[in-house]
Amino acid sequence: MKHLLTGGLLLLGASLAFAQTLQPGAKAPSFTLRDVSGNPVDFKSLKGDITVVTFVATKCPISNDYNPRMDALYKDYKGKGVKFVFINSNSTEPAAEVAEHAKANFSFSVYKDPDNVVADMFGAQVTPEVFVFDKDGILRYHGSIDDSRNESKVTSKTLRSALDAMIAGSPVPTAQTKAFGCTIKRSKKTT
Amino acid sequence: MRRLLFLLLFASAALWPAGPARLDPLDEATYRQVVASSKGKVLLVNFWATWCAPCREEMPLLVKLEAAYRERGFRLVTISADEPEDARQALEFLQKMKVPAPAYLKRAANDDKFITAVDAQWSGALPALFLYDKTGRKVRSFVGEADFKVLESEIRKLL
Repeated sequence: MKHLLTGGLLLLGASLAFAQTLQPGAKAPSFTLRDVSGNPVDFKSLKGDITVVTFVATKCPISNDYNPRMDALYKDYKGKGVKFVFINSNSTEPAAEVAEHAKANFSFSVYKDPDNVVADMFGAQVTPEVFVFDKDGILRYHGSIDDSRNESKVTSKTLRSALDAMIAGSPVPTAQTKAFGCTIKRSKKTT
Repeated sequence: MRRLLFLLLFASAALWPAGPARLDPLDEATYRQVVASSKGKVLLVNFWATWCAPCREEMPLLVKLEAAYRERGFRLVTISADEPEDARQALEFLQKMKVPAPAYLKRAANDDKFITAVDAQWSGALPALFLYDKTGRKVRSFVGEADFKVLESEIRKLL
């Protein structure tokens, strides 16, 4: 019997198996991003005593709901030894769109990750998704910014709690969280 | 006779299900019940949300799969990850797409625990499909836009 669903479908490679996501305690990988003009930027030049790597999107409604909160985080913590690296890995969102979106919403730049190489290294799956590294490059927190896309319903500010603990030299209270979000739109690859 | 046939066709079309009548709340315990009560069938659980464009795009394909394999023991269950205030919009979408019941709305106290209970390796990214065999064992997970050729092939193997 012929398959029911053939032809005309947009088939994005194989079903996405669960990629190996960096787990707390893992070492930060070395990688290069592109600024919105296409220039290479080494992660080494972006790191600080504490480094927050956040995968974001221009079209994801969840990521966009977090735009004001991401901007507030940046402003609140940039003077406390925290460096932020915002990455757009979506193949569906070109550099010009990312630049325009950042200009409209953020006080910071967003870097492109062509062919989602960095998202694959991290095993990042959704937007927004956060990875926080300490000065030794060890992952201390991974997951969501907080526990609700609706800011008025937030009960646990997990990223802020992690940053506050790290700044104080204390253990991070919750090292990993999950939340519903948009998948990172990976480029089609033959595997 | 022709008129009678027409009336019968009209009546059956009117009675044909136009999607779920409601969205039932679902937490970790309800999820386990859904899987347990589907033993003897091949179960495909679809996690989706109205804000998730690829989720909306693949819904008609899921409906086609369900219609094609229902008689052979295939069951499709949809679970919306929408917020409660968007439940009406989610239900209207399912009805428009004629997605068969049962349909659920995720109402877990803690998303983190709920996602882990469904699949410890799942990040919560949508869309997500989880395929169970007739014994209730999870055999395949599809996160992100699924390859429906692969999905259909897997379903056929399990039926």
